[in-house]
Amino acid sequence: MSDQPLKIMVIDDENIVGKRLKPALEKTGDIVETFEEGEKALARFAEDPFDIVVTDIRMEKIDGIEILEQILALSGRTKVIIITGYATVEIAREALSKGAFDFIAKPFKPSDLRAIIERASKELRP
Amino acid sequence: MSILEKLKKISHKEPGIRQFCIQTIRFKKFLENARALLDLFNDGREKALGEYIFDRHYVVSLIDRVIERLGMMVYDASVLVPKNGETLYAMYDKHKLAASNLINFSASGNGGVKSGSDASEISLSAEPEYQLLSDVLRWFDGKEVPADTTVMDFVKQTFFYVIQFDAIGGFESSDSMQNRNLFENSDVLSSDMGIYLVDLWKDALELPEASRSVRDFNSVPLRHLLMDVGGREATGPKKDSNGIPWVAAVSEYQLSLSTLKPDCRFRLETLASGYEQSDFIFIFADKSAGLDSILPAGFHVESTDYGQLAWNLDVSAKTIEDSLMIIGRKLFN
Repeated sequence: MSDQPLKIMVIDDENIVGKRLKPALEKTGDIVETFEEGEKALARFAEDPFDIVVTDIRMEKIDGIEILEQILALSGRTKVIIITGYATVEIAREALSKGAFDFIAKPFKPSDLRAIIERASKELRP
Repeated sequence: MSILEKLKKISHKEPGIRQFCIQTIRFKKFLENARALLDLFNDGREKALGEYIFDRHYVVSLIDRVIERLGMMVYDASVLVPKNGETLYAMYDKHKLAASNLINFSASGNGGVKSGSDASEISLSAEPEYQLLSDVLRWFDGKEVPADTTVMDFVKQTFFYVIQFDAIGGFESSDSMQNRNLFENSDVLSSDMGIYLVDLWKDALELPEASRSVRDFNSVPLRHLLMDVGGREATGPKKDSNGIPWVAAVSEYQLSLSTLKPDCRFRLETLASGYEQSDFIFIFADKSAGLDSILPAGFHVESTDYGQLAWNLDVSAKTIEDSLMIIGRKLFN
C-alpha cells in the first residue's frame, strides 16, 4: 500500500458502527470521518471527495443505494463499500450491479472490512 | 406434504410401530431445534466478546430467532407429550413477553448508558447495543438471575417433560411392558443379535415379513455401534431375565437406541451423515448409569435432578463412528 493515507468516509445511522470503526481503521494511519446522516455525509463529500466510502444500506432518510449513486456521480474513482444486514443481501447485490466495490454483512470484524479496503486501495493505486 | 406429515396421517389409523417411528423422528427434530438454540446462544456470546461490530438490528434479530426456534421446540415437545402442551405453551408465552420487554425497554433508551467519551476510548459495556446483548445473554442463560427464568432453564424443563415420556415408553414400567409386546408382535427382533431393529422409514409403512439380521440394515451408525460387539461369537446385546432389553430405530445415517429395561433409562440419538453442522450424538441416562465410564472423551456432560444429559456436536462422522464403537463395546460387552 502507498504511504499516502487513504481518506475513508463511514456512514451509518447506528452510532456504534462509526464509533467502533473509526479507531479500528485509523490504526493503519488512514484518515477516517464518520457520519450518522447521509445528507451531511454527501455535503462533506461534495466539498472534498474521499477515496473510500463505507455506507450502511438501510438508513432512514437516505438509503445506501442513493448514497452510492450520488457518490459515484460526484467521483467515479471513489470505491463504495456497502454494509448490509441479514435481510438486505438482495439489495446488496443490486448495489454491486450499480457500481459498489463490495459489500460486507453485519456483524463483521474490522479486520474483514480492512481486507476489502486493502483490495480497493490496490485498484485506486495500482 | 412432508414424509413426516404423511406418516402422521396414516398413523391415526394404525398405531404401533408406525407411531413409534413418528415419535422417534419427531424427537430428532426436537433435538435439532434444541441444538439450533445452543448455536444461537453461542453466536450471541461470540459477538459479546468485543471483536465484532454489530448494531441493534443484530441483537433484535437474535432475540427473534431464539423465540422462533423455541416455538419450534415447544411444538415438537407438545407433539411428543400432548399432556404437557398447555404448560409448555404457557411458559413459552412468558418468554415471548420477556423477549418483547427486552426489545421495548432498550428501545426506550433505558437499556444502557450513552458514552460521552472519545470514540477511541469507548467502553463497550456502556454502549446500548452491548448492554442489550448482555441483557439478552442473561435471559438466555444468566447465572445470577432467579431460578427457572432463563431460556436454558425452559429448554431443560422441556427436555424433562419429553424424556420422561420417551417415544418407546422405556422409562415407565407399564409402558415398557406394553412396548415390549409391541416389538415382540411385530417381528422386528434381529435374527443374529438380541436387539429389536426398526427401519424408521420402511417399517413405518409396512412391517417386515421375516426376521432380519443386523447386516440387512444399511445404517452407518448401527454398523459402528455393533462393530466390536460380542467378539468371536458375535452374540451382541444379550437377552436377560426381562427379555430383549434394547431397541434400535435406524435409517442410513440415523440411530435411536433405547433400553426397554424397566429399572433403567438410557437413550442414545445420533446422526452421522458426514455433514458436521448437523451431525451429533446425544445421550440421556439415569444418574446411576455411569456415563463417565461409557463415553469417550469430548462429550459435554450435564447432570440434572432427573438424569444425565451428554452430547457432542460439530464433530466429524469419523469421530461419531469411533465414539459409537466405544459406546457399543461398553454397553454390550
